[in-house]
Amino acid sequence: MTSTVTVWTDNVGIHGSSGVNNGPGQWPRTKKTRLCPQAKPVRSFLTGMGFAEIPAMFATFFNGRILSVVLWLVAAGAGFAMFLNYQNIGGETGATSPHWPAGTRAALDRTHDTLIMFAHPQCPCTRASVEELNRLLARVQDRVSVQVFFYRPGQFSNDWSKTDLWQSAAAIPNVTVCEDVDGAQAALFGAETSGSVFLYDPHGQLLFTGGITGSRGHAGDNAGEEAIVALCGGQSVKVFKTRVYGCSLLTKCDTLTGGTVK
Amino acid sequence: MSSAALKDPDVTDALSTDAVSRRMGELFREQQQNIFVHADRLFLWLMVCQWFFAVGLALWLSPRTWTGAISTIHPHIWLAIFLGGIITAAPVLLAWQQPGRTLTRHVVGIGQMMMSALLIHLTGGRIETHFHVFGSLAILAFYRDWRVLISASVVVYVDHVVRGIFWPESVYGVLSAPIWRSLEHAGWVLFEVTFLIIAIRKSLGEMELVAERQAKLEFLKAGIEQTVAERTADLTRENLERKQAEEQLRKSQSQLAQAQHIARMGSWEWDLTKNKVTWSEETQRLYGRNPEDVGSPMEVCIEERIHPDDRLRVNQIMAESLRTRQPFVCDHRIILPDGCERIMQGRGEILLDDRGEPVKMFGIVQDITEAKRAQEALQRSEEQLRQSQKMEAVGQLAGGVAHDFNNLLTVINGYCALALQKEQEVRPVRKNLEEIQKASERASALTGQLLAFSRKQVLQPRVLHLNEIVQGMEKMLRRLIGEDIELSTFYDSSLKNVLADPGQIEQVIMNLVVNARDAMPRGGKLNIKTSNISIDQKSSSRNRTLEIGDYVMIAISDNGVGMTEEIKAHLFEPFFTTKGLGKGTGLGLATCYGIIGQSGGDIRVYSEPNSGTTFKIYLPRTDATFEPVVISDSGRLSTGTESILIVEDDPSVRALTVAILRNCGYQVQDSSNAFEALILLKRNPRFDLVITDVIMPQMSGKELYDQIKDQLPHIKVMLISGYTDDALAHHGVLDEGLAFLEKPFSPAKLARKVREILDASVLVE
Repeated sequence: MTSTVTVWTDNVGIHGSSGVNNGPGQWPRTKKTRLCPQAKPVRSFLTGMGFAEIPAMFATFFNGRILSVVLWLVAAGAGFAMFLNYQNIGGETGATSPHWPAGTRAALDRTHDTLIMFAHPQCPCTRASVEELNRLLARVQDRVSVQVFFYRPGQFSNDWSKTDLWQSAAAIPNVTVCEDVDGAQAALFGAETSGSVFLYDPHGQLLFTGGITGSRGHAGDNAGEEAIVALCGGQSVKVFKTRVYGCSLLTKCDTLTGGTVK
Repeated sequence: MSSAALKDPDVTDALSTDAVSRRMGELFREQQQNIFVHADRLFLWLMVCQWFFAVGLALWLSPRTWTGAISTIHPHIWLAIFLGGIITAAPVLLAWQQPGRTLTRHVVGIGQMMMSALLIHLTGGRIETHFHVFGSLAILAFYRDWRVLISASVVVYVDHVVRGIFWPESVYGVLSAPIWRSLEHAGWVLFEVTFLIIAIRKSLGEMELVAERQAKLEFLKAGIEQTVAERTADLTRENLERKQAEEQLRKSQSQLAQAQHIARMGSWEWDLTKNKVTWSEETQRLYGRNPEDVGSPMEVCIEERIHPDDRLRVNQIMAESLRTRQPFVCDHRIILPDGCERIMQGRGEILLDDRGEPVKMFGIVQDITEAKRAQEALQRSEEQLRQSQKMEAVGQLAGGVAHDFNNLLTVINGYCALALQKEQEVRPVRKNLEEIQKASERASALTGQLLAFSRKQVLQPRVLHLNEIVQGMEKMLRRLIGEDIELSTFYDSSLKNVLADPGQIEQVIMNLVVNARDAMPRGGKLNIKTSNISIDQKSSSRNRTLEIGDYVMIAISDNGVGMTEEIKAHLFEPFFTTKGLGKGTGLGLATCYGIIGQSGGDIRVYSEPNSGTTFKIYLPRTDATFEPVVISDSGRLSTGTESILIVEDDPSVRALTVAILRNCGYQVQDSSNAFEALILLKRNPRFDLVITDVIMPQMSGKELYDQIKDQLPHIKVMLISGYTDDALAHHGVLDEGLAFLEKPFSPAKLARKVREILDASVLVE
């Protein structure tokens, strides 16, 4: 069969899509064909998503690929579930006196509220607590006096506690940073987990105790911070105690699954 | 589909449109698939890198966890390694093994969102790390598949919903949050995804356009390529046809040139407006011109090559042709650069313009030199043929006359001789008889000459030595030429023998010497020279040809008046003479020509007016030994007693012969014809000799001879005749073994010949 070839002389590419043949010398008008599956109407959405092929999916569900993907999703989901569970388990909190503890090296501000934070200088999770402290102080300005005690076991040198976390805390204006050798001060306040925060009014009355992160090492809005800000502003709050997420300040740390060492 | 339908433009356009649409779809899907595969490859490496990054990040940010003074590996590290590995594994494997598949893309999208969640958690929920989600969505848009974005968005939404339900503070910062808050985060994702989808749609639209353009370009290109191929095929075919035509033209030109060369014919063309002559290659060669001479004016051409004697005529003929517009033919001679002269025949015609004015003359020239020479040779041959025919006619006439005349002379001479034998006394009668006999002898000589030039005489050749012939004649010749002419002879001592009739050769020499004498009326020098000559090339003169071989030459030269070409042309014709009336018969040189020709040789003449003449006689050399002949003539008739039968149709000759032989003592019977003779011979086979005339009616003497030799071989036969025919002699030379006596004969010659034959111990066979 002899094929007939039409030679078009029109400028290629610049044409409409009316589907009308414009005659010799021009490109034949092609019908507007939606080649892109994504451009199909909503009707094809289900098909595109595979819903229209559910029977077929069931038929092939147990073939290797789909099953593998499902197993992968389950595994990943389980992993995330375990992780989130770990992230949201709070640390141990000791018995805290409702009044300013006696014998402490911490100084109670008689004109403003006093906020005391106990931190482990090597705890990665406490970084979020320091950040939140910084953010909190930005919100409450100078209405609160802040002191941060960094735990240092006695057998370690002074440098052990002078970490970036120490530096970050020290860099926050109006924040006093000092060491808490062997957790003596923490013990006075009943703080057992790094990131524990205590808020006292000028009279030494305990206003709030707990952590200022929403989960372990997770910065961002949280109930503890909101409560402190409100208390500092003289507002009433419903939350006076939150969970603390961080490393244990004691030799025994119940928050760690790997076991604690006294 | 029928071919007729395919030729319909509408059908063709419809087919083209469908074909373009199909091709556009193919190209679009091909491009989309390439994008899918490319993006899969990108995410393959991205996922791996992200995994390593997550592990590194965990090692950097939270390497260890502490319990007081005791530290252990932080769970984040194990989380990054294992959960990150799980998240990375499926997308990487699919992107590696099954790139471009739909499932691969969705797994990649889901995995990428999981990786974002992992990184956010590893970085402590830093707001900056949340950008990974949006960045990942943008990168997923590389797929240009909005469904992947939906899958990824669903993962984000599900993550927030689940965490909002179970760990609301980790997401919203509050201990409890309404479910709708999950939509807040998903909303921002949806915000980006919406615009990404718009961008994807736009991009896909552009891809469609590109695919459509490419499809059309491909069809256009295919059309152009086919057109080019067809045109190329046309051009190739045309080129081939052109080459074939050129080859054919070259072949034709070559054949024309060859034909011209073979025919020795060339063509020419004279542009009258520019006065330039163009020659063909053969014409140039014929006229000995160089190719660079093409374009010369006609005057130059004529001046250069045309023979000076022909130039005026050629110019006149061409001018006449131009004037009358008529074709012309012009034979002319040319002189080539090497001096050779050739004869050419030119033909030409006139080409007229619209107004009837001559603009061009063209034609051919042909070398007709050979044809001309052949024509001249033919003319000469025809002339010689006419001459030969004339000679033959004269010879026939002379032979016929001589036969009867010889019979008469035989009778006259015979009876005179018999009468003189009886008349012993000196009486007036005897004197009269002697005068009759002299007249008879002169008449015999005259008939002999007639027969000689007509080559009808009977030659009886012998081995001769020409030196001795000339020496024997020298005294007689000196007397013949007189004292005013000095005769010098130059003999070649090593001269070879020839086979010829001595009497005839003597006759030739005498005739030539007489002619030389007549050419030197005031005296002069006559030289006779003999020599051996070897001819190594055929030589023709008149109608005779000297073959290659050894010859003996005798040259007779004088320093007389010489001859013109006209005289030389007719020199050997009978009855042609330059001598005055009554001084020559015109038979002398004709006789010489006949005798020499009859002897197998040739006679050539070299002469210039006032420079003398030389005749050269060439006779074939023979290796046979010369035997001198001793002729004894006692004056008495030889006698005998044998029985002889005379067969002669002429009664006078028969009666004379019978009388002579009976007078000699023989027993003679006679017969008037051969049949009667055969009857007599059968009746009486004891005849010793049969003497028979050759020319007889009914049965010739030769036939009788053959009958006798066949039936009565012991009987001897002698033939007598005035001349012979081809039966008896070959070209006038008597066949070997025949006994022959020439008429007219004297009684003594007859008696002697008869006696010789009868005495011969060996029968004539």
